[in-house]
Amino acid sequence: MAKIVVIGAGFAGQTAAIYLGTRLGKKHEVTVISNRDVFGYVPSWVWVGVGHMKPEDTVFKLKPVYDRINVRFVHAAAKEIHPEPGDQYVLGEEIGTGNPVRLDYDYLVIAPGPLLNFAGTPGLGPDNGFTHSICSLPHAVKTRDAYLALVERMKKGEKVKIVIGTGHPLATCQGAAFEYISNVHKDLLKRGLRDKADILWLSNEPALGDFGVNGVQVKRNGIVMKSEEFIKSVFLDAGIRWQVQTGVKKVEDGKIYWENYEGQEGVTEFDFAMLIPQFKGQPFKYIGKDGEDISSRIVNPAGFVMVDGKYGLPYAELSQTPEAWPARYQNPTYPNMFAAGIAFAPPGPISRPFTNPNNFMIAPAPPRTGMVSGMIGRVVALNIVDMVNGREPSHSERMTEMVAACIASMGDSLWDGSAVAIVMRPVVPDRKKYQNEYGRDLFISHLEMGLAGAWMKFMLHHTFIWKFKALPGWQLIPE
Amino acid sequence: MTEQQFSRAEKFWMNFKLYQLWRFIVLNIKIYTIAVQSKWK
Repeated sequence: MAKIVVIGAGFAGQTAAIYLGTRLGKKHEVTVISNRDVFGYVPSWVWVGVGHMKPEDTVFKLKPVYDRINVRFVHAAAKEIHPEPGDQYVLGEEIGTGNPVRLDYDYLVIAPGPLLNFAGTPGLGPDNGFTHSICSLPHAVKTRDAYLALVERMKKGEKVKIVIGTGHPLATCQGAAFEYISNVHKDLLKRGLRDKADILWLSNEPALGDFGVNGVQVKRNGIVMKSEEFIKSVFLDAGIRWQVQTGVKKVEDGKIYWENYEGQEGVTEFDFAMLIPQFKGQPFKYIGKDGEDISSRIVNPAGFVMVDGKYGLPYAELSQTPEAWPARYQNPTYPNMFAAGIAFAPPGPISRPFTNPNNFMIAPAPPRTGMVSGMIGRVVALNIVDMVNGREPSHSERMTEMVAACIASMGDSLWDGSAVAIVMRPVVPDRKKYQNEYGRDLFISHLEMGLAGAWMKFMLHHTFIWKFKALPGWQLIPE
Repeated sequence: MTEQQFSRAEKFWMNFKLYQLWRFIVLNIKIYTIAVQSKWK
């Protein structure tokens, strides 16, 4: 009987757990260890952050789901991973009691989601800083409360400054921030308070609409349209100002300190700010045979697990080398260890990195959340199924092959809401396969705004929660 | 679409329910068919 341990129950971990449980759970032992006993549907936290969705509508308990699909659940925080063959186990601390937990494994999936590195920017974050975040449910709830308090001030006639974007020069997940700024705009419009707010998009992207993926390009009526022009139109239409090519260095009460591509330093004042922090890998300790810390052999300096990618290529070479991106998400030293979702170390950025005259680097990290996370979770799980059944891993999908769809809502109304629907193939440009300067399939890639997107967003919320609950027919819903 | 704001015509189509129903169907088919291909990898 094989023992499979999955660390984490987010998009990647939950996807892996469902595939593993339904395919191996009856004959083998599949265990999920997570410090949260609920699954959180992250894309809907933007609606929580403006008070349009109840927090409890975005979560569900994990254990009843796992009981149905033969997965054991351990509510504990993983702390150490002992990967040496012969005695492989995960050590954790049970939530509530603090009791140690030991889980032996034959196969390990590391999918714990990101460490939100608020400490990387002094003054950032809702706990020890002055800004807000929608990257966790408690943060989204705090953001909602602060936002609604701001709305009350605006109702009394006060004019306020709202800043939304990225809070670190190497931050990722610009899409979530874009969706939040769009929802704030739409909400204020509906409340008749839009004229009371000056809204600014502040981001580390090289250009508007870059989203950390080098932008999205689509062919329409024979003309290539870029997401930069499209998002510019969205912002002009909404009266949202923007400042890109900017890395936030420090935040104080009501003040954001930044530096830009030109090396200029500046301060932006705010009454309310939602800034996405840098994402890092979870700080697990990897322990060798003799008890020594071997983390540096397994993870990169940011804490992401090294897998089957080609690391260390300069950007110019990486952008021409699609095969540098991992295919199986399998650690080369320990082939029974996989990393899924944000946990795997990408070989480099997708958007062009930039170092300004002061040697200050501004470079969005590659986003690998949502659909990408789910796909990697599935690839990893199916390869483990192969290995458990005595076969070579047969599944692979590089980010240079993956398609990704992103629906960024502007309000949640099914009557007069709107959303930007973005489809890109591949997520990471493949300039060998697609012979155009963007390295993308310009026929499949898609950019559209309208009410249909709002319906899509609503539908995705319900269908994905259905899928993540492993309810009948979940297999028919793509990642 | 120009490089400036969306035109009045574009805004009309963005919220014209019947047209948006058509776009909803097209978008669903497009996303589903390309996403489901990934299942076989």
